[in-house]
Parts: sequence; structure tokens; C-alpha cells
Amino acid sequence: MKLIAYLLSTFLFIICAFHLAPAQAGQEKPAKAAPVEHLHLKQAVMCQHVENLNPVNPGVVFSVSSGQVCCYTSFDPVPRHTVIYDRWYHRDELSTQTRLRLYPKKWSTYSVIQLRETDKGPWRVEIIDQSGHVFDVLRFSITD
Amino acid sequence: MGGFLTFISSIRWQDIVDVLINSYILLRVYILFQGTNAFRVLVGITSLWLAQELAASLGLILTSWAIRGITAAAAIIIIVVFRNEIRSVLQVRNIKAFLWGFPSRVQHTPVDIIADSVFQMANKRIGALLVFPGNQDLGEVIHGGIPWNGQVSNEMLMSIFWHNGPVHDGAAIVKGEQIVEVGAILPLTRRHDLPSQYGTRHRAAVGLAEEADALVVVVSEERGKVSVAKDRNLVRVADSRALSQLIKKHLKMPEISPASQRKREMLKLVGAGFVSFLIISGIWLAFTRGQDTIIALNVPIEYVHRPASYDILDTSVDEARLQLFGSSALMRSLSPEQVAVRVDLSKATKGRNIFAITQDDVILPPGIALNRIKPSTIEVTLDTPTTRKIPVQVDWTGRLPENVGLVDVSVTPASVDVTGGSATLAKVETVYTCPVRLDKLPPSGTTSAEIVLSPPSLKLSASSTGLVTIHYRLVKSPIPRNR
Repeated sequence: MKLIAYLLSTFLFIICAFHLAPAQAGQEKPAKAAPVEHLHLKQAVMCQHVENLNPVNPGVVFSVSSGQVCCYTSFDPVPRHTVIYDRWYHRDELSTQTRLRLYPKKWSTYSVIQLRETDKGPWRVEIIDQSGHVFDVLRFSITD
Repeated sequence: MGGFLTFISSIRWQDIVDVLINSYILLRVYILFQGTNAFRVLVGITSLWLAQELAASLGLILTSWAIRGITAAAAIIIIVVFRNEIRSVLQVRNIKAFLWGFPSRVQHTPVDIIADSVFQMANKRIGALLVFPGNQDLGEVIHGGIPWNGQVSNEMLMSIFWHNGPVHDGAAIVKGEQIVEVGAILPLTRRHDLPSQYGTRHRAAVGLAEEADALVVVVSEERGKVSVAKDRNLVRVADSRALSQLIKKHLKMPEISPASQRKREMLKLVGAGFVSFLIISGIWLAFTRGQDTIIALNVPIEYVHRPASYDILDTSVDEARLQLFGSSALMRSLSPEQVAVRVDLSKATKGRNIFAITQDDVILPPGIALNRIKPSTIEVTLDTPTTRKIPVQVDWTGRLPENVGLVDVSVTPASVDVTGGSATLAKVETVYTCPVRLDKLPPSGTTSAEIVLSPPSLKLSASSTGLVTIHYRLVKSPIPRNR
């Protein structure tokens, strides 16, 4: 009986020693950390419309007769899934805000507003993240 | 009795000074112009004005209008017709005489000496012509006179009119106790009904008497007779006593002693002063005490004594509506510039301040009172002035030509220092240029525009000119903007 107990404890000791050995080895030699990537705005432009995720007719002046105007943004890299906001201001008054999702590793997206006669005048779009960091401010005008 | 006491207690010291000053002005007008024709016409005009007011109050529309027209015309006529008389009154030697002087009306003309001399000359067949001016100025009627300014005496008169003397043919002008001019040429009468024996000397005497209120004594050289011309009459005078009486009558010389004359003059002045006081008091009462008219007036609110460290950011109202009452005469003459509402901000603090507008804040001309004011309170928001750098954006307007795009726009300077209330500035993220027309853009790619600040309480810093340069590029096919 004593023999059985001795063999069982020896077996358990060997099992424990086998499982603990790699953890102790890891502590002796830690793995090298990967570089932290930040969300980066690669391109931001006002354009008349977007085709195949490319801006068409970019500019700073848009005719109200064109019907719409887009704020195109391209991010590279996108480290993780996140959201950004496009805040549209007409003469310093917040007109609308659009929430846009970004997915790794790079992502292009855009927000769009439909134009009316009352929208004529100077505009700006602030591209910001969730914490309020402003990536860029685009300024343009809606004219006749 | 209670009403009278209330009235007395309501009189301010300014009212008393006001009445006294104007009473004195009226008295001075009387003193300076008394006895002149202009004064008589002035009294006539005043009577016309009173008649017009009476007619208006009785509802006589046509009469009122007619009298008003006559009064206006008469006012012009008095200035044109009596300009010489007015000039002679106002042309005083010094300002003291104009403001304080009381001209003595006592005549010291030695009438008896003159009368005796005249008859002596008549006996000796010495022709003579003596002029005693009345109230009217003779400056434009008499010509060629030589200033003399000599004391009147028998010898003086004899020497002036002595045969072959250089000035014996002209007239001598007597004012007071002096012969002021000799050798004066008088206008000749055009009358045909004068006796044939009257020569040029008599025709000159009548001519002047016709055109002015002067008395002219003429001594006939051929017949040794003495005549007096006054108005349109030429009368023969028998002796020196009769002549003396005629001259005294013309000069309004009373048959009393100079002391009594002076006393009478003084009493007359006191009476005139009292009448002036009564007239002005009556006018003052009519103007200030009648409170029969109420009017409403919108008056801009002035904010004064603002603490230097604060700017006025906002006010609940810019003007107050005042309901005022007073006499209709004062109300008619009231102009908005005379009324002001001033709110004292010396005790204001940063942020919202509410002030009650009280009677002390309203400035009104004398005689007008405040009945009501709207609003009774105002809200003033003060803020600390601060400066912030704010980006400039071009305010494009108009339309670009077909197939042309506008890219690569930059503004120099890209941002400007703007000063204003901190709360106001906190709401401003962009300042804009004045509208820049797209259809008139020069192809050079550069233009300039002025900055327009909104709200207007904002100001550019001293270093900024308010002008920005805009660089741009016009393209056929728009170029993407890459980072």
C-alpha cells in the first residue's frame, strides 16, 4: 500500500514538473513585443461623388445643382475595428454628423449630404475619432 | 392753498434763473429799441402773433392762416425796411453798453441858444439850414456831410452859416448838444405846390421832412424869415420862443427839471422791467406748467461706466419706450436727441446682470416728466475680452465656368488674431472673407479679399490689416487632394 502511495505521488510530481517547465522557460526568455500601430488618415478630400471607393471630381467649390457632396476619407493602417465621425458645419453651425466604421487593416469610407438651395455658403467638415481628436478639417463652399 | 404751495415747492432754482435771464433779455430789447419805428413794428408783429393764436384757439382756420402769413411777411419786412435803424441800435461802441447800459433819454440840446441864434441869423440875412433828427436813421437820406462834432453855441452857428463860408450852403445836423455834421446835402422835394419865393434851401428842408421824421429849420437869406419843415408841412415861425417850443416838442423835451426827468425815466425802466418779468413768467407758465400732453418716444439705451475689464456681450433691449408728459408747446418742440436713457454699468459683474430702469436713468429736458417706461428692467451680459487665433475661410459665391474646377486653395494668413468677449469667441471657429465671385477670378491664381467678422462686436487685432491673399488653381479636370 505504501508502495502504491509512493508511486502515485511520484507520478503526480512528474506530471506537475512537466507542465510547469515551459512557463519557467518563458520567464527566463520573454518574447519580443510587436510595434503599436496607430490609426492614420491617408487621404481626405471633398468630392462630388464616389465611384468604386475612389473620389470623383474633387474640389473646394461645388454647385448646388450637383445635388450632393461627399467627404471621402481613406485610413491606412487601421489597427483595429473603430469608428470615426464626420461633422459637417455650415457657417460654423453644426449641420449634421455621420458615424463611419473602420475595419483593419486599411479602410476607405465617405459621408454624403444632399444639397438644397439654403445650403449655399461656406462649409467645413471635421474628421474626428471617438475621443475628439481631429484628424483633418476640410473647407469648401456650396455655390450657385 | 395747498395747490399753490405745491406749485411754489415745485419751482426749481433753474426756473427762477430762466425767467430772470429772459426777462432781462426782453428788457434789453425794449431799452435798445424803444422809440424806434422797428420797435413799434415789433410790437405790431407780437400783436399779430397773439391774434393768430387766438384765432387758432377759436377754430378760425382761414384767419389763423392769413395772420400767420402776414406775421411771417412782416418779420421779413421789419428786417429789410428797418435795417438801418436796427444797425444803428446794435452798433454800440462796446459790449458793456449793449448788455448793461441804460441810455439816457434826457435831451440836453441848448434849444434856446439855437432859437436865438436862428433869429439873429434871420435878422442879418444869413441863410441857414438846421436838421434835428428824430428816431429814424438819416444815413441813407443825407449825403456829403462833413463831420464837425462841435459844441452848439451862437458863435459856432454864425460862423458855419456866414456868407462865403465853405460849408454855409449845406445843412448842419444837431444831435444833443453837438453839431455833428455840416455841409450836408438834403434831398429836394418834388412838390409843385410850394410858393414860388421858396428856393433850394426850402425845397431841401421839405424834401428831408418828407423822407424822414426829422425837423428842419430853414432861414431865408433873401427875406430873413424862419420856417420849420416837419412831415409834409412847412410853417413860418414868428419868433424865437415859438421856434424853441417847436424844437422841444420835436425832441420830446418835457418842461420839467432834468432830475425829475431822470426819475421818470427810472420809473419807466422799472415798469418796463416788471412788465418784462410778467410776460416771461406768463410764457414760462404756459410752456412748462401745462401738463396736458402725453407722448411716447423710443429712445436708444446708452450703457455708461462699463468696467474696463469687461465687454458688453449682449443686451436684452437696445431701446426703451418712454411715455412722457408736459405742456403741448414743450412736447411739440421736443426732439429725440434731447432725451436719453443711460444705464450705469459701474456695478455690473461678469455674466448676466439685470438692471431696473428708474427715473434717475432717464435724462429729460426741463419741464417734461416721465410717466412710464418699457421695459422696466434690462438684462446686460458682460464678458472678458480675449484674443484667439481663428482660421480664415474664403466665402466663394457665384458660379465657375463649365468644366473648370477650383483646387489647391490657400489663404495667407491662414488664421488671424480676433479679439472679443470670451463667450462670443468660444462659439467662433472660422472667420470668413467677404464673398469672392467665382466668375470674376483672375487667371493669375491670386486674389485678395477682406475679412468680415460676425458678430460685429468682434475685432481684428491691431497687427492684422483685415485683408487676406487667396491663392488657388483653376483646372480643367479636378485633381485629387492627397496627403
